[in-house]
Amino acid sequence: MTRYFLVLLMALLMPAAPILAQDGGPLRIEITEGVIEPLPYAVPDFVADSVSGREYARQITAVVASDLNGTGLFRQIPSDAHIARVTSFSSPIQFSDWKAINAQALITGAVSVDDVGKLVVQFRLYDIFAGQEIGQGLQFVGTQEGWRRMAHKVADQVYSRLTGETPYFDSRVVFISETGPKDARQKRLAIMDYDGANVTYLTDSQSLVLAPRFSPNGDRVLYTSYESGHPRIYVLDVASAGRRVLETREGSMSFSPRFAPDGRTVVYSLTQGGNTDLFAMDIASGRSQRLTTSPAIETAPSFSPDGRHIVFESDRSGTPQLYIMPATGGEATRISFGQGRYGTPVWSPRGDLIAFTKQSKGRFHIGVMRTDGSEERLLTASFLDEGPTWSPNGRVIMFTRETQGAQGISGLYSVDITGRNLRPVQTPTGASDPSWSPLQD
Amino acid sequence: MSYLSKAFLVAAALSLAACSGAGRFDDTSAGAAGYAGTAQDPSSPLYFQQTVGDRVLFTVDQSNLTREAMAILDGQAQWLMQNAGFNVVIEGHADEQGTREYNLALGARRANAVREYLVSKGVAASRLDTVSYGKERPLEICSEEACYAKNRRAVTVVSAGGLS
Amino acid sequence: MNTGQIISAAGHAGLILWAVLGGAFDTDPQPYEVTQVTAISAEDYAALIAADRAPDAVANVDTPDPPEAGAAPSLSSEADTPPEQSQPPATETAEPDPVPEPPEATPPEAEVSDAPPVQPSPPEETAVLVPEISERPQPRPAPRVAPEPVARPEPDVQIDDVDRVETAPDDSPEVVEQDSQETAREEAATRIVTEAEKAAAAAPAWSLRPRTRPAPRPEPESTVTAQQPAQETTPQVDDAAVDDAVAAALAAAGAGTGDTGTPAGPPLTAGEKDALRVAVQQCWNVGSLSSEALATTVVVTVSMSEDGRPEADSIRMTSYSGGSADAADRAFAAARRAIIRCGTNGYDLPFEKYEQWRNIEMTFNPERMRIK
Repeated sequence: MTRYFLVLLMALLMPAAPILAQDGGPLRIEITEGVIEPLPYAVPDFVADSVSGREYARQITAVVASDLNGTGLFRQIPSDAHIARVTSFSSPIQFSDWKAINAQALITGAVSVDDVGKLVVQFRLYDIFAGQEIGQGLQFVGTQEGWRRMAHKVADQVYSRLTGETPYFDSRVVFISETGPKDARQKRLAIMDYDGANVTYLTDSQSLVLAPRFSPNGDRVLYTSYESGHPRIYVLDVASAGRRVLETREGSMSFSPRFAPDGRTVVYSLTQGGNTDLFAMDIASGRSQRLTTSPAIETAPSFSPDGRHIVFESDRSGTPQLYIMPATGGEATRISFGQGRYGTPVWSPRGDLIAFTKQSKGRFHIGVMRTDGSEERLLTASFLDEGPTWSPNGRVIMFTRETQGAQGISGLYSVDITGRNLRPVQTPTGASDPSWSPLQD
Repeated sequence: MSYLSKAFLVAAALSLAACSGAGRFDDTSAGAAGYAGTAQDPSSPLYFQQTVGDRVLFTVDQSNLTREAMAILDGQAQWLMQNAGFNVVIEGHADEQGTREYNLALGARRANAVREYLVSKGVAASRLDTVSYGKERPLEICSEEACYAKNRRAVTVVSAGGLS
Repeated sequence: MNTGQIISAAGHAGLILWAVLGGAFDTDPQPYEVTQVTAISAEDYAALIAADRAPDAVANVDTPDPPEAGAAPSLSSEADTPPEQSQPPATETAEPDPVPEPPEATPPEAEVSDAPPVQPSPPEETAVLVPEISERPQPRPAPRVAPEPVARPEPDVQIDDVDRVETAPDDSPEVVEQDSQETAREEAATRIVTEAEKAAAAAPAWSLRPRTRPAPRPEPESTVTAQQPAQETTPQVDDAAVDDAVAAALAAAGAGTGDTGTPAGPPLTAGEKDALRVAVQQCWNVGSLSSEALATTVVVTVSMSEDGRPEADSIRMTSYSGGSADAADRAFAAARRAIIRCGTNGYDLPFEKYEQWRNIEMTFNPERMRIK
């Protein structure tokens, strides 16, 4: 009572007081400005009970850290700064020791090889400042050769629990491996883990191959090959590497194939008499249907995740621009209106954004815009950037960057959709035309 | 061995060479390179390539023929009419300023422009095939307009036809 | 309805459908079948390369050794019993650094009326360090985004969340301060600068029209001003500062008169609240949040102890809006970290008003942080 009186008295005494006490309730403040920086975390080497387990433990820890560091969202605190040592997976965590080095998240893990030679990986994740575990401890069991995938699985869990995004580390990328000089470049279809590890070649270098695309469940790849002497679209089974040509019309060339979300339909460009239009083909029956009829170039189609629309590139206005039409064809609406030329639109798996290549004032950019063309943002700039592909969770874009000049080479880069964390993807040879797989099962 | 059979063998060898076109990288076509005809022989592919002129250039983003291009194509048409034994693949190319797939379509437009012009000058359409390489097979590799200008091209590659 | 709206509507419908479907898939607590791990051994891979015959190669790639009959899905998420996180009490007490209590009493009184309120104003060095800023301040790409730009710290300075000037032992003999290492906040820009924007700034493609004549730079004062700002600001009487002074005076009179035995004191002034807000936001790091969590506003309550420290166990989320429960959880975790982390040494809150800030409700609204 006295207190309320006092408050009232003060309110009278100080008419200039901007804030009156809120009748005994809590103090209220609103925080609207924060910082955007990587979250510091620690991941001491996973513990192991055997020599072989120890080697796996070391490598798995390194891959987990590499995955997390690679997002640009986390900053690893080097182990030589650690105060506490984790010697047992089940012993309690000394939160104060981790707080002292400002670790905000802690990952602990254990690796062992079981009786039948399977690798067993366990991990736990802690919120240091809250002093509690985030989610439950998890255990993965797999073949020893699959240790990298198990590491990606661990990192995926950590990433997801800390950020709230769906994961993407356990995924692959199909791309074009490039060797040789610019005027005699050899190209092969290749597949690798998203981080550049485990590269496998799917074709030889006899025929020029271009622009592969994963099927929605990652079991097949569409691409363009000059195997017949003319560019034609092929479908390749990833497991067997068996392939077959899809479009064989005489006197035509076909390219730029993409799967529909149902995995049964392919939309692609077909050139007849110099004019390039979009067609859709039912893979099983081989029957195709024309989607566009303009005398302009229509290419680089991409389905919306719901399969109902197609965004594509057309120069019907005079320069290449982006358009959206129903998946069955019909009237198209232009969505790009900025200065410059737009190409290779790719619909985000989340459905909210379209990534594209933009050519403006002699430079190339990778950018994103909303599906109505608004809120265009350019994420990169270089002599030649093109061909964006989305990570399975729609958070990261990978693309081709080619350097200038006679010695110019192609490589893969990735960038967060905020425009931060632009970084090269390590590949054993030159590389171009990446296509990101869905998250693996 | 008769002249006829000799000619047949040569032609067969040539057509084989021409058929391996998928792996061909340079613009001096397999047909011309594989055939020992001299540039002085007006019916040789080499003569076609060097004297008649096997390529026409385009301006940025364009596929319509310039006056110079038409003059060269007039010569090509004339040669092809006189040398009916040869078939033709017209290769369309683009410079590196552009996305891969758009440039493929652009190259196809250029090849087709040449094809239609030759047809209009009387060359049988059945002798003419087109293919686009987009920006995949640059002739010049610098990243300057001097090189780009030479890369925006359509190349008429002749090969002994009818037997392949 | 024009076509744009139709497209947009359809797009949104698609988005919702996607969200629903995606959500449906997500909710499936899919146990990982790690026995299906497909990988290629180094030997096979080397053989592949050597052979250079790709097409057959992949036969080797996908050698998921089939799960032995009866082998259960090898991933068990029930895992092991969580180890009890019993904290030895010793560490609990050891955790606060042996720091002398916040020196509330230490500032000489003369300065109280002089300086504008507590607001940890950007240190003078900052102003001096960035004379290169042109008329159109172009944020430099920095690895960090913060409400206020922070110049690149000098190389030998440690990164910290707040600027901390090294205290020279003989600086102010009457004040007892711990020997703290000099730190600086990490270099920061006020928003994300993408490569594209950088290029635009650096591009020689266009040039500014030459300026008529460089105006005489009125800059020298900034090098001299180290001590001046306080004087300069006094003339324009700051409401908050006055309030502070008045409040402090009143508080001094009224302190201890509350019936609970703890001081109730007058309400916090705008300046004091502002200081708290600024203190918390320095630790509110949204850099690792999902796009959805960045669209989620959370309301958090916290109880404070008398020394200005938040009681970690008391931090609760009372409501959220804008995102899913899952997104709210992540947003809450970030908010909780901010409150605890920046409150490790106690927030600078007036003790005599303890009852006013004993319970605090903080709304964390990331709207302005989304694409910054």
